[in-house]
Amino acid sequence: TEGPPSCPKGCERCSEYNGCIKCRPKLFIFLERNDIRQIGVCLASCPMGYFGMRNPEGNNRCTQCKIDNCEACFNRNFCTKCKEGLYSHSGRCYVSCPPGQRTANETMEC
Amino acid sequence: RPALRAVIKVALLNHEPTGKPITLEGVFVGGSAGYAEGKLMQYHPLSLCNTSEDERQENDFITIVKLEHRVPRCLPLLDKARMALDKGAQAVIFDVSDDANAAAELRDTDSLPRPVVLVEAEHAEELMGLVNKNEEAKVRIDILVEPPRWPHYDV
Repeated sequence: TEGPPSCPKGCERCSEYNGCIKCRPKLFIFLERNDIRQIGVCLASCPMGYFGMRNPEGNNRCTQCKIDNCEACFNRNFCTKCKEGLYSHSGRCYVSCPPGQRTANETMEC
Repeated sequence: RPALRAVIKVALLNHEPTGKPITLEGVFVGGSAGYAEGKLMQYHPLSLCNTSEDERQENDFITIVKLEHRVPRCLPLLDKARMALDKGAQAVIFDVSDDANAAAELRDTDSLPRPVVLVEAEHAEELMGLVNKNEEAKVRIDILVEPPRWPHYDV
């Protein structure tokens, strides 16, 4: 069942100033910054630089990747796409591969 | 000890500099009365939780949060205020119009390093109205000095 008509898509509970404050089950709330405003929106998957963090109460939310030089991550500590020119190894991003690791330039992996 | 009242002066940045600033009022809480100034910046109540990003702003800003009793409380308000200040806010304004318990929750605390102000009713509506229109605004907060009430003299 869809939320109140005035709420954005996928939103179960919203308000004029905060946008969405509770998304429908399985969706993630993303706190979107637009200049001075910050409103909640509901997404099926999180934007680049964020990963979807689920929680038992159902307040699933998009959370920022915390890994240096990372563009997309699977969870807080595992990067799936490093910034251009960097090598990926075990979910981290490197300017050059750690000692003992062979460099695979075609896939930018160690 | 009666709560100190705050005067909030709001100047719109994208308008004529000659425009008169908007003057609003609030109440200081958390033992934090004092002067602060910065650009108005809204934070969603869910952005001040343990799982929140450290979304730091560059220049001086004053955080405004519209509290709502329907939003799951992820942290006590004192911790939310402290988190907002840790993110670099020069001061925090809580709109408590739709969260009756918020005022009571914050009024007994006494340990915040920078100003935290509660606003409601028409004062809150004015501020949130600016936020809703994404109006860039410079906010100055200070202690409201009440004019002395002279006793009535029969002359």
